[in-house]
Amino acid sequence: MKRLFAVALGVLTAIGGFVDIGDMVTNAVVGSRFGMSLAWVVVVGVIGICVFANMSGRVAAVSGRATFEIIRERLGSRAGLANLGASFLINLMTMAAEIGGIALVLQLITGIGPLLWVPLAAFGVWIVVWRAKFSHLENATGMLGLSLIVFVVAVIMLGPDWGALARQALVPAVPSDEAPATYWYYAIALFGAAMTPYEVFFFSSGAVEEGWRRRDLGQARLNVLVGFPLGGFLSIAIAASAAIVLLPQAIDVTSLSQVALPVVQAGGTIAFCFLIVGMLAAFFGAALETTLSSGYTIAQYFGWSWGKFRAPAAASRFHVVMIVGLLAAIGILLTGVDPILVTEYSVVFSAVALPLTYIPILIVANDRDYMGRDVNGPVANAFGLVYLVIILVASIAAIPLMIVTGAGA
Amino acid sequence: MTKHASVRAGRILDAQLHLLDRQVLDADRVPIAAVDDIELTDIASGDIAVGTEGPIIENLLSGPVLATRIFGGRPPASRWHRVPWGLITELGTAIRISAPGSDLDVTWVERWMRDHVIGRIPGGRHAPE
Repeated sequence: MKRLFAVALGVLTAIGGFVDIGDMVTNAVVGSRFGMSLAWVVVVGVIGICVFANMSGRVAAVSGRATFEIIRERLGSRAGLANLGASFLINLMTMAAEIGGIALVLQLITGIGPLLWVPLAAFGVWIVVWRAKFSHLENATGMLGLSLIVFVVAVIMLGPDWGALARQALVPAVPSDEAPATYWYYAIALFGAAMTPYEVFFFSSGAVEEGWRRRDLGQARLNVLVGFPLGGFLSIAIAASAAIVLLPQAIDVTSLSQVALPVVQAGGTIAFCFLIVGMLAAFFGAALETTLSSGYTIAQYFGWSWGKFRAPAAASRFHVVMIVGLLAAIGILLTGVDPILVTEYSVVFSAVALPLTYIPILIVANDRDYMGRDVNGPVANAFGLVYLVIILVASIAAIPLMIVTGAGA
Repeated sequence: MTKHASVRAGRILDAQLHLLDRQVLDADRVPIAAVDDIELTDIASGDIAVGTEGPIIENLLSGPVLATRIFGGRPPASRWHRVPWGLITELGTAIRISAPGSDLDVTWVERWMRDHVIGRIPGGRHAPE
């Protein structure tokens, strides 16, 4: 159990990137429309986030500087501010979506409308941010989130034609009834979700919260190598379950209940219970991740005191930012907007934030002033450079594709 | 307080690279500000006589000066929050000073929020459990 808890930071970070509410629905949409033909994108995304999360964790452990401090330090105050604005908007929209997601799950259980649950869910997130120790929150949400393995079980129980699934995944082709632009729009959405900037903000700040030092570099790598591939595996399983059940019947995924359909069909009530627990933990974990990230990024940009290892009074502006953020998230949801739709538009802001986040990490990971003898090796640099090119292409193509395809309609 | 080897006479610093936008930590290693700008001694206008001393850095600045650095202009001198250069004990990937943050004007918003908002919410003054 202790070993499992040692990778909790990586697992919780990955949950926010791969199986939070927006990604869960996107994965099911992709599975129901494109089968397994976009699974390769998830693999590409997992490798990319592993490369950069490992770098950001290493920089934090060796130099004590979390990611947004080095973003400001390397990009300067202007470009840093542009990144802060974009990242904060992504954070805020994701926070709102996750809190809305918690409310939707509670509605599935109780039948009481989601708007009543929204303030309660936001209060729950705040009380954990306010009072719970960092290690407790990552252990509880990370481990309960593992209930989502029920998607993997469901895929196996559905007894699919494994050969056909593997062919779709290994020899990807655009389905005949879909436009290529739509295919690539969803490819970028999946890649952007895998590489969402708040993952590295949270992971590097979490490394500081846990007090990682140079001797903990092995643990940092283990967190990365367990957490993100697990997150990617779950998101492929969600797409597979949709590809098996929803694709042949041409069911459009528009809400959470359609995401749950394959699981219920495969495993009945027991599987549904696991799914509910897993979704609640994953959305709650993602809400914590984005709420804390909003505080981390702003506090680190302006140089304020931050962190849950301090009493709130010793990091007062950090806590004020998070309280204001949660109130804003409630405000967004009370307008009655669809929480799932909210996350889809965060792709646009990711386009700005992705390169401005990952370039400084790569530069500082090569700076001996920060890293001493632990600078990047040639392999990490080669991967880092290749991924920077992919990130740039994705970020340039994101907005035009969104307009051309009407956000994947 | 003894100074770190990184603070020594004759060391060449690039203001852009080594000072601006770096994190400032107080005597207890608590983050208090980022270096938003720096304040130099006055530079004489007109012809500068041979042998005149160059300007020296008096203070690191933080706070409202960030907005004017980005968007242009200059805040009134009364709004400048200074960290005196003489307090610096280490110039590394972060800048450490010898005073507690509570002694400096740069942390007044932090203290105001603590005393009037965060400290008044139940549990705000205890470390998380």
